Amino acid sequence: MENAICIRDLSYAYPDGTEALKEVSLEISRGESVALLGPNGAGKSTLMLHLNGILKGMKGSVEIFGDKIGDVDLKKIRKRVGIVFQDPDDQLFMPTLFDDLAFGPMNLELPQDEIKERVKIALRKVGLSGFEDRMPHHLSFGQKKRAAFATVLSMEPDILLLDEPTSNLDPRSRFEVIRVIEELRKEGKTIITATHDVNAVPKIAERVFILNKTMIGEGTMREVLLNKSLLQEANLIPPDVVQLFELLGCFGYDCRDLPLSMDEAVAHLTRTIETADGKHIHLHIHEHTHEKIEEVRGRYNHHE
Amino acid sequence: MIGHIEIDRYHALRSPLHNWDSRAKLVSILTLIFSIVLVYDLRMAVMGLLAAIVILLLSRIPVRFVLTHIKWVFLFVSPFLFILPLEITDGRIGIDPYGLWYGSLITLKALSAVILIFPMVGTARFDVTLKALIDLKVPNKLVQMLVFTFRYIFVFFEEFQRIVRSIESRCFELKTRIYTIKTLGKAIGMLFVKSYERAERVYNAMISRGYDGVLRGGGEFKMQRIDWVKSLLIIVLAVGLHIPWLWVR
Repeated sequence: MENAICIRDLSYAYPDGTEALKEVSLEISRGESVALLGPNGAGKSTLMLHLNGILKGMKGSVEIFGDKIGDVDLKKIRKRVGIVFQDPDDQLFMPTLFDDLAFGPMNLELPQDEIKERVKIALRKVGLSGFEDRMPHHLSFGQKKRAAFATVLSMEPDILLLDEPTSNLDPRSRFEVIRVIEELRKEGKTIITATHDVNAVPKIAERVFILNKTMIGEGTMREVLLNKSLLQEANLIPPDVVQLFELLGCFGYDCRDLPLSMDEAVAHLTRTIETADGKHIHLHIHEHTHEKIEEVRGRYNHHE
Repeated sequence: MIGHIEIDRYHALRSPLHNWDSRAKLVSILTLIFSIVLVYDLRMAVMGLLAAIVILLLSRIPVRFVLTHIKWVFLFVSPFLFILPLEITDGRIGIDPYGLWYGSLITLKALSAVILIFPMVGTARFDVTLKALIDLKVPNKLVQMLVFTFRYIFVFFEEFQRIVRSIESRCFELKTRIYTIKTLGKAIGMLFVKSYERAERVYNAMISRGYDGVLRGGGEFKMQRIDWVKSLLIIVLAVGLHIPWLWVR
């Protein structure tokens, strides 16, 4: 499949000399959705800023659909690569939502009618239809996050870079944002999501990269989210549902093939119950149960 | 969340000022403001103030709302009215008629100009006014500065409030001492650092959406005959304020 993004040996240091990225390489296919995990200060946001030419690496190269950044007009790249920044107040800088959503298409010098149509479609996609005249500073934080998505969607980019899309959101707003990302995946957009929200990762990505200035791990969801040492290196822990099923294991539940998401958990439980004798599962406490529980819980507390 | 800039709080009312094309309204009332500011006759300044009050009443913006805002302007210009006329003759304080005339002229002109700002800017949504400015070919950089001030001034205040709350929650008290000044100085310094960083992030967000230094997109304005009539009336008034003066001279 065609590569949407191809990064080779990218290195970058901040003007004060602090190294932010060191020989980072990755390839992402068209239509793929990947998660970029890593501790704070790992360089996730910095990497994203390289993907539409805001930052330029000191070494290495970045290619977007085969076009090397630096060799082609940046407007062409920015039309295809949209970034949703972490703080929506950075992204929503115009007096009304319509102006904010129209900002990108206007810079692309699209006809007025098409701009209006794009604004309407983008707002509908994020569930904010009718919010055209609203002022960004009158929106709730969750609405601002979705509006920030819409400002990028109105440019109809092929690649979406999402920087911590679920951070600081209440559960309902988080659910809404995840729903938007799922919809975009269905549309076939290529998506990179930088996040710490491991519980959301199984819903929004199919492959995971772990970055800590350099790429320290890569693999399928299962390969990465169940790799304890790798997660520990990135200051992360597996999703809650994994931990819960590991605890269930302490009570005698057969938990091979740990589920990574709620959907997988439901499927796992259903399968186990249906194949068990008497169609029920049997949990019990034996002499080592509490010891095992302590061991499992301590496993994810990196400081103990 | 702090409220946004409330100059356009009454944009949704219905009045002859509200349904006036924003571009024509800006140009006409601005002409009137300049005209009032340039009069050199107290009677004409009084006329100017009366005209400003009539326009304000026509706009149906509540007078109390305007008074709350212009009190600060009055505080600023009041020294001209109360101090300028004073003179000391033979060790006694007296009133100088020229000072009184001059102080009154300045005060009347300042109040008229500020009163007119409300029907000019407060009768349309602020973003519509900004679009009118773009359509009027006001320098783009100036419009951008207004846009960003409008959008971020309260984010700036909110950040400052967060800093103040944070220092107060750690037992900081405002007292007349060097420590207070130092602490507030550092807090304000941090606010500027944060603003600088935010400005950089906003700029990144802008260029990632194709920003090339120009803010595009005016409004969809269309001048009707009634807009021309309203503009003509205001321009005639603006010019009229100077005709008696020229005639007297």
